Amino acid sequence: MKPSLKIICIACAIFLIACAQKEKLEEVNYRLKWLYNVSAVGDLYAETRGYFTRNGLKVNVKPGGPERDALKELELGHAHFGVASADQVLRAAAKGAPIVVLAQLFQVNPLHWIYRPDQTVFSGGEELKGKRIGVTFGGNDEAILRALLARYGIAESQVTLFSVRYDYTPFYEGRVDFWPLYLNAQAVIIAEKLEKAGETYAFLSPDRLGVRFVANSVVTTREMVEKRPETVKRFLTALLEGWRDALDPRNQDQAIQVLLDADRETPEAVVRKQLPVTRELMLPAARIEFGKIDAVAWKQTEAILRSQNLIPGSVDVESLLFTFK
Amino acid sequence: MLHRRIYQFLIIYAIGLGLLLALKYGLNLSDYVIPSPDEIVRTCRTYGGPYLLAVLNTLAVAVLGHILSICLATVVAVIGRLTAWIGSFIRTAAYNIQAYPIVAVAPIIFILLGDGLQSRLLIAAMICYFPLLLSFIGVFSEPIREIEHFYESTGRMTWRLQVKIRAFENIQKLTTVIVGSATMAMVGTIVAEFIAATAGIGYSIRIALYQSDLAKILVALFLIGVGTSLYLVSLEWAGNALQKRLKSL
Repeated sequence: MKPSLKIICIACAIFLIACAQKEKLEEVNYRLKWLYNVSAVGDLYAETRGYFTRNGLKVNVKPGGPERDALKELELGHAHFGVASADQVLRAAAKGAPIVVLAQLFQVNPLHWIYRPDQTVFSGGEELKGKRIGVTFGGNDEAILRALLARYGIAESQVTLFSVRYDYTPFYEGRVDFWPLYLNAQAVIIAEKLEKAGETYAFLSPDRLGVRFVANSVVTTREMVEKRPETVKRFLTALLEGWRDALDPRNQDQAIQVLLDADRETPEAVVRKQLPVTRELMLPAARIEFGKIDAVAWKQTEAILRSQNLIPGSVDVESLLFTFK
Repeated sequence: MLHRRIYQFLIIYAIGLGLLLALKYGLNLSDYVIPSPDEIVRTCRTYGGPYLLAVLNTLAVAVLGHILSICLATVVAVIGRLTAWIGSFIRTAAYNIQAYPIVAVAPIIFILLGDGLQSRLLIAAMICYFPLLLSFIGVFSEPIREIEHFYESTGRMTWRLQVKIRAFENIQKLTTVIVGSATMAMVGTIVAEFIAATAGIGYSIRIALYQSDLAKILVALFLIGVGTSLYLVSLEWAGNALQKRLKSL
């Protein structure tokens, strides 16, 4: 056989094997909570670096957004897996949505409040009294803030709540003492601006003040778990493995590149700062396993929502949290 | 007129709600995706009062914004009817400004004016003024030759008289456009409140969306529909009264 013919035969064989493998892949949709950003780096890493394929899955990782609700898409059958915040999950569960939590992405909620320590004296929750605090009414920062106020016995009349939007001007101008932001996203950008202006800044962490409000988690439907357990298992295995590797400092450059390919709006310098912060929030201690579901924090989140009448009744948290036996 | 408008709205709302509920029970969806009738009634009882006040707040801003846009469109159309360079410039500028989506311009407005009444008013006016402007420019640029010729030949034509003649002869067209743009004023105000405000039904809808509470949104939509219908009926009534009065002159 001529060498050129040999090469063509090998190429054809590889092509046929690839086609056969592709046919075998099970296709599922995975709806993220927000647009592609650092909070989805592991999802994108798992998708682009073949973690799902190796587990026999073709996963379409779709960006979320303000008008997207992964939980509704799950129920309507448009998505098989999704990312949702704990308050969304509990609200849905309280209204009978058949969902289960597979993994918890953040061990510490990235929602923090930024403040200027040289202008705002703050060393403990009690000192929130008398302060002007930014809050997104209706958002989960409102629930967290109200939980903080309740925890430290501060009445709403003892603080000034300032309605927050995308515009940070009120904080820059010093009209508000505390401004809510995501520690692994906007905080990096705002901090840089304040540093350039020669100002000091610090962050109020609700978690450190005793309010453990769960953030993003990976969810699916009960039907998926019951009827396609193998698919769920393979998806979760691939996803967690992808996340672990994306957060591994040794793979930092590859993880950043994967994210930059998907999110062309955020400069590389910003992503480089965001990734280590994200790692800290997802793996706050070396011994913590990525994706661990913190049942105590879930119960506290449920209690917060219930105490603020944000859910109509109590939710059986244990039945929501799924673990493979 | 009032009965007809409300009646028509109720039919449309009932059809929409019926379809949603059919979908809910047909696909066996939870109350999280589509609320049950029970939940809608409960939400209506709890939030009906505050939402009604919010709709009235929005309606008040929409009416003011509508008036502002009518004034703005009249001024631009009166100047724009000129064949001079300034007229052409104003027309081009008006078209260009409208070409920008309001959601892109709104953040700049909110940074400059804050999230108070001024911003809501301006955005409402910006959204509803373009259909007005198009018609107003058409009306004020089109000469009524058989009447204007007389004043021009006797040398008594002034710009004020010209505008009055053209407005009088096209009063029905102007009334129809003003009534038609009223819904745009309401939509504009809601959009403004949704993007950045701390009052009004658009703001309430935003909060409800944060909480994924479709029942609240359905209640809000119902009240918005009733409020808009009432405003349209008032405008139609005022337009008819004006036309009757002008005919009697």
